[in-house]
Amino acid sequence: MTNILLILFIISLLYLSIANRLVTYIRVLALQGFILFGVTFLALEEINTLNLVLILLETVVFKAVAVPVFLSRLIKRNHITREAEPYLPNFVSLIITTVIVVVTVLLANSIKDTHVDKIFFIVALSSLFAGLYIIASRKKIITHVMGYLIIENGVFVLSLAVGNEMPMLVNLGVMLDIFASVLILGIFLNKIGDVFKDVNVDQLSNLKDY
Amino acid sequence: MLSFVLIALASLFFTGVIIRTKSITAGRKGPGIMQPVKDVIRLMKKGAVYSQTTSIVFRLAPVVYFCTVAMAALLIPFGSSRGVISFNGDFIFFAYLLGLGKFFNIIAAMDTGSSFEGMGASREALYSLFAEPAFFIILGSLALLTGNTSFYDIFSALHLGSYITYALAVLAALVLAMIAMIENSRLPIDDPKTHLELTMVHEVMILDNSGFDLGLILYAGYLKFAIFGAIIANLFTGGMSLLWALVVFVGTQFSFAVVIGLIESFMARFRMNHNAQFIFALSSVSFLIFLGVLLVLGKFI
Amino acid sequence: MVAINGLLVLIIAAIVVILLVNVRGKGMFAAAAVVTIAIVSSMVAIPALLGHSFEVMLTGTYTFGPVVIKVDALSAWFILTINFTMTTGIFYGLGYMKRYADQRNSITLHAIAYILLHLALVGLCAIQNAMVFLLFWEMMALSAFVLITFEHEKKDTLRAGINYLIHSHVSIIFLMLGFMYVAFKTGSYSFSAIADFAHHQSAMAGIALFLAFFIGFAIKAGFVPFHTWLPYAHPVAPAHISAVMSGVVIKIGIFGMLRMLLLINSDYTTIGFIILFASILSGVYGVMLAIIQHNLKRLLAYHSIENIGIIGIGMGIGTIGLGIHNEVLAILGFGGALLHVLNHSLFKSLLFYGAGNVYLATHTVAIEKLGGIIKKMPRTAILFLIAALAISGLPPFNGFVSEFLIYSGLYGWIGSGSIGTLVIVLFSLLSLVLIGGLALLCFTKAFSIVFLGSSRHVNIEEVQEQGQLQLVPMYFVGLLMLLIGFFPALFLRILQQPIALFTQTIGTAPQPIPVNITNALHTIGWAGLLFALFIIALWILRRWVSSSKPVEVGPTWGCGYPTSSAKLQYTANSFARSYSKLAKPMLDIGKKEIAITEVFPSKKHYETHTYDKLERYFIDKLIKLIKVVTGWFLFLQNGRLQRYILYGILFISGVIIIPIIIEKIMMLLHFLNNL
Repeated sequence: MTNILLILFIISLLYLSIANRLVTYIRVLALQGFILFGVTFLALEEINTLNLVLILLETVVFKAVAVPVFLSRLIKRNHITREAEPYLPNFVSLIITTVIVVVTVLLANSIKDTHVDKIFFIVALSSLFAGLYIIASRKKIITHVMGYLIIENGVFVLSLAVGNEMPMLVNLGVMLDIFASVLILGIFLNKIGDVFKDVNVDQLSNLKDY
Repeated sequence: MLSFVLIALASLFFTGVIIRTKSITAGRKGPGIMQPVKDVIRLMKKGAVYSQTTSIVFRLAPVVYFCTVAMAALLIPFGSSRGVISFNGDFIFFAYLLGLGKFFNIIAAMDTGSSFEGMGASREALYSLFAEPAFFIILGSLALLTGNTSFYDIFSALHLGSYITYALAVLAALVLAMIAMIENSRLPIDDPKTHLELTMVHEVMILDNSGFDLGLILYAGYLKFAIFGAIIANLFTGGMSLLWALVVFVGTQFSFAVVIGLIESFMARFRMNHNAQFIFALSSVSFLIFLGVLLVLGKFI
Repeated sequence: MVAINGLLVLIIAAIVVILLVNVRGKGMFAAAAVVTIAIVSSMVAIPALLGHSFEVMLTGTYTFGPVVIKVDALSAWFILTINFTMTTGIFYGLGYMKRYADQRNSITLHAIAYILLHLALVGLCAIQNAMVFLLFWEMMALSAFVLITFEHEKKDTLRAGINYLIHSHVSIIFLMLGFMYVAFKTGSYSFSAIADFAHHQSAMAGIALFLAFFIGFAIKAGFVPFHTWLPYAHPVAPAHISAVMSGVVIKIGIFGMLRMLLLINSDYTTIGFIILFASILSGVYGVMLAIIQHNLKRLLAYHSIENIGIIGIGMGIGTIGLGIHNEVLAILGFGGALLHVLNHSLFKSLLFYGAGNVYLATHTVAIEKLGGIIKKMPRTAILFLIAALAISGLPPFNGFVSEFLIYSGLYGWIGSGSIGTLVIVLFSLLSLVLIGGLALLCFTKAFSIVFLGSSRHVNIEEVQEQGQLQLVPMYFVGLLMLLIGFFPALFLRILQQPIALFTQTIGTAPQPIPVNITNALHTIGWAGLLFALFIIALWILRRWVSSSKPVEVGPTWGCGYPTSSAKLQYTANSFARSYSKLAKPMLDIGKKEIAITEVFPSKKHYETHTYDKLERYFIDKLIKLIKVVTGWFLFLQNGRLQRYILYGILFISGVIIIPIIIEKIMMLLHFLNNL
């Protein structure tokens, strides 16, 4: 069952590479939150109940509800336009994301450690690279944050893979999530959002030294 | 032989159910379920008008197209009975037969010398190009899972046990359903209802056909739907008894038709530029099915 | 022995006669010579194909050593393919060259070069001595050059020919590297020495030796990135020469690779993967570039590259099968590759003959200018259609059979292996499917724009069907293609001996072809016949049903436009546009346009040129670099006679003085040493 959910996770990554509107990105992030909730529920059986409840709440509350709500409020408040503006056409993004998944499968195959369930490793690494690619290929700042959230989902999946032996690692993943929300709150909901009138990253290059 | 008879029977009702579903969701009563068949019979009784720009290719193409689809139907098994033609690697023959039909459709459309048909022809060629890999990869995954390479052997050895094999079968059924919609030019790739040439793919290629030819082409389309419905039904009937297999077959065809009707009622067609990436996404998803099969087989240590 | 001597005497006699007779006689004597070579070599080849190989040893000279001439099953298959295509080629050529009948000298050269090319090709299949092999290779390259540059007054033709010649010689250098290395190490020029040498070497050395030969043969065969001569050479040659070049001359490269595979018995798995990757690249790249070409013959040339890729995929998986001791994979891979060698020579030659007919009738091969030719040249059009269907790999024709064998090999291989191999199998499957789909896109475009619709620029009234001399060879080729399509199991059985040569290298007894494959092929043949019957039955049914109904002829539906114009039709560029937009990163399309900017547009201009991206990066930059480096020495060539004489004086004085100076320096050093 975890395998099915993780395959759904990868399908959501593929869908993300051809999505056009920011609303779709937010919906996919919420969906990924729910998928991770399911995976956590099924995979982490051996840690104590309090810790488990905490982690479950965290996935649902933060990943699936809080962060998407924050992001949609953000988009409305800063009047960010609907389109996610990519540098490369969507077709090429799709091909690149597929290639990322293929390469990750081959990489995972060459790891000889039998303790890690390979599918977790594949999903984590794919989300990592896909998130990095999304950051690199989109013009808006808000999509940078979304790419970061995807990377974070990937790291969370990886921590789940070894979560039964090292429950502290999962807690670290939770910390990462809270850090991300603070990041969003701090940078955007603060007045800095008002000072930065332009929502494209091109203007950020004005910050360089020379 | 049994599967061919069943497919022929199913094709008579398939499009009728789609149209009826669409009408009911739109609040109308809609035409009868046998109406498409009556349309075909009416067309076959009519004379024809041929364009003076066309040549023998235009007259040959509907015949070849219908024969390819009919021959493809001979390859599909049903439950525990083989198709009329069954050999190792027959799904390759199946895919390329349908490709032969498409080739003739495309050149017949270009034969009329009209820019409308040319537009439809060029798009049709591109979309079929992207839909092929998905079909081959799914069958490759099934061949890997069961260790056989013909339709009959694969489907009869496909025993769905665990959660993940069910999920993979459902995912494969979804991808096959989308391939069927691409082949038959239904939403969300192509709209069979609009007669605006800039938005059509398949419907515009048959603008100049009339009479018996048009009847052949329409009926071949219905047959293709039934064929793909039969393949999807086969995914779930591995090893069942004849009665249960029949129930699953009828149920799958019916629900497939209803789902198509619902999709057509509630979704708009994708922007033409986005069609290509959507179709290619099907190939990526079928690669994920391959990945799932690798998981099931425990190839990941 | 006697036969070989007799054959050589006959050929020299034919060449002498050709020099003397009139133009019509030249053609007939050339045809007679080609047919003689074909008959004599086939008499040797047919028994060899069934297992009785023919071997004779000539004493040769002091430099070459003994020269062994051996025709085994592999050579026999290639010899028969070569004979068939060369024979149809010369007869087609007799009809095609009629319009050049006034250029006596060119035709003499052409006829002689054709005979020499045939002799060289047949000889290359049989010779087992490295030096003589290279000699015949050079003869083949030079005669092909002469044949290609028939219209040598055109600058483009000459450039294309010289491009081809340079590529040929680079390929010879690589072959020489391999042969000379072996001869240096073993002292013998015979091919059996290569086999012994490779046997005692490490795997790496074997792979390196094979790579040297592979690159040499790959340049000839047209693998990417060595393919850049093909799209230049094939369009400028006369139609039957393009057919012969595509059909058999590039297959000699494949033959060379196969021969080297048999001789160099080392790490087959690695070699197989190398061949597989190179072939996948060639196949996909060839067809991706073919779609956007405007010139019919150039489009066909790129398709040759694609089909060489398909043959290579078959060879690659066959070699991997030998390496992992999977006999079924080896049988299917090599079977598919060898059958595709024959198939491709058939349908590519038919396509080029069709293009030649179109050129003779309309004086152009630019696709965008043609259209509606089927009404005036129905036979050419139908034959072209059959060949187009075959090259797209569609049943019931022969292209499907060879692709089916390769597919069966890949799907059969899926059952075993680790994840790495499975991903590679999936990748090869994906590329084969893409190649098939892209070929379909390309040939629907080519056939429909050239033959269907209405004529775009050419005056359709002047177009006429070509003569029987050109059509009859095309009928024969079409017939053989249909035979292979309807009776595929027979041809796979004929291939049993050549395939057995390969499986024997890993030491197993020659296995018969697996029963399920022969059954599958039988069923495909029967299904094809059934399909044809079905079509005929439905056609008759339609005739009968519509006989009582009114059938009219009217203009195409034009959505209210009062006149239907040929300019309203779809052009080739627009047909391929949805594809070229998606594939733009890989393609190199230069566009010159004056765009419409005002409301009532005045005269505008739009022009596209396609170029080959790999050629721009690999070949052009390399040539530029060479020119820059050699440009540093331009000052030496300053045109003044006195300076040149000065160089001569310097050289002579140098030759005299420098050894004296060196001797003095040695004496000084000796003296200093002894202090």
